Amino acid sequence: MTEAATLTIAEARARLERRELSAADLLESCRRRIEAWQPRVNAFIDTQVRSPGRQAGPLAGIPLAHKDMFYRAGKVSSCGSKIRRGWVASETSAALERLDAAGALDIGTLNMAEFAYGPTGHNDHWGDCGNPWDPSYITGGSSSGSAAAVAARLVFGSLGSDTGGSVRLPAAACGVTGLKTTWGRVSRHGAMPLSHSLDTIGPLARTAEDCALLFRAIAGPDPRDPLTADASAEVDLERPIGTIALSSAWIEEDAHPAVARAVVAAARAFGVRLREVEPPPFDLLSAHCLTIMQAEASAQHAQWMRSRSQDYSAAVRARLEAGYAIPAAHYLEVLRLRSAWVERWHATLHDADVYLCPAIAVPIPTREETGPRGGPEMPRRLAQVTRLTRWVNYLGVPALVLPCGFDPHGLPIGLQLVGRLFAEETLLAAGLRFQRETDWHRASPRLA
Amino acid sequence: MKNFTSHTIETLLASQGVPLAAGRGERLAAGVNDLYVPDPLRAELGFDVDPTTYLKTRNQP
Repeated sequence: MTEAATLTIAEARARLERRELSAADLLESCRRRIEAWQPRVNAFIDTQVRSPGRQAGPLAGIPLAHKDMFYRAGKVSSCGSKIRRGWVASETSAALERLDAAGALDIGTLNMAEFAYGPTGHNDHWGDCGNPWDPSYITGGSSSGSAAAVAARLVFGSLGSDTGGSVRLPAAACGVTGLKTTWGRVSRHGAMPLSHSLDTIGPLARTAEDCALLFRAIAGPDPRDPLTADASAEVDLERPIGTIALSSAWIEEDAHPAVARAVVAAARAFGVRLREVEPPPFDLLSAHCLTIMQAEASAQHAQWMRSRSQDYSAAVRARLEAGYAIPAAHYLEVLRLRSAWVERWHATLHDADVYLCPAIAVPIPTREETGPRGGPEMPRRLAQVTRLTRWVNYLGVPALVLPCGFDPHGLPIGLQLVGRLFAEETLLAAGLRFQRETDWHRASPRLA
Repeated sequence: MKNFTSHTIETLLASQGVPLAAGRGERLAAGVNDLYVPDPLRAELGFDVDPTTYLKTRNQP
């Protein structure tokens, strides 16, 4: 018999409606798996139930858990840090309020990179998060616990944040589906800020269909976050997909051969017209993203950097130090260029619905290779991991990551679909189409 | 504008009251210099464009 926690949200909902399973069964199944997997992956920071869910609603009875940066009134949010260890929030984040209203359970807080400022899943304060496929490899970050918990079937879905790839990198490395939303799609009220011009909130789940269920619940305007857009969050997953744009030559020249093979094969699996385009200037747009991220993150952390810099890990402290050297005029010029680059992006897509590329162009590295003992090659390895995600944050457009194969070490390979502003519906419909044709999303790690 | 040195970095951080460990300035300078990448759209950037122009572009129907 199928273990209840291994179902997708859509499958679990159907069984709840037919009364073949109860909400208690789902929770108990998740609890058993958390007990077995937590020593291996360290995905959870706290396993106390924070919200018991409701009997009605589109997510009624579905156990979720979230990155420990979504505040809940009266509860601790450590933000993966030493500085906020034991800090109690005074209000609940808009995204959690909406999931509560949709009926979901919140069964704990998940590990994350310190202050969401790291792409690997290392954490000096709460312990590294281990990849469920092999804990000696990185989970990707910063939503490390979210991806690990969803991949290991400890929860059905999770919220992450994405400022430079923090939903997509861990989704790719752990083999789950992750949606980076359009900047301003989901209210950031009550979520820990990192870089206000780039921060987005999005779901990680087993499938595009499940991401759509979570996305519908959390998206929409919120007067408490005045940057949210007044855009509909309705999703028609049967929306037709006509053309996919890609840059095959770039993929074959710049990606690892195993990644290139998997991604090009995945492009064909959609069964739609493929159109070759010049690749966006990934490295230029990534540099612009980093300029904004570093300047804004360092401003956000300025007080603690002056008074408690010793309480940051060495890696996060070094990233924050860099931001104080960025001239304001350069930062503002990069922001002024942003609208022109979005128009250029929409012209690149032209008649295509989405652009397809790898999420990470190299095999997933180990924790040691990318950690403090990574040696002189460590910065280059980190740059390879983040090369294809930051450009999307600079544009502010949405992107969906889906599993599409395995690398030579048995770690997942992630496919990235990037869309126009507010084109989450198109991405999710394309993702559903891909997952109807393939079964990579059904593969799950096993306990040794 | 790739001309940040360790001394510039140390001065900038000190002026903002942010402590910097000895020897860190050189590595930071290299990282900050790497952020200056020639952008072909810079020459076409209109005088009236400001950071909020992005919001207007985003909110166009």
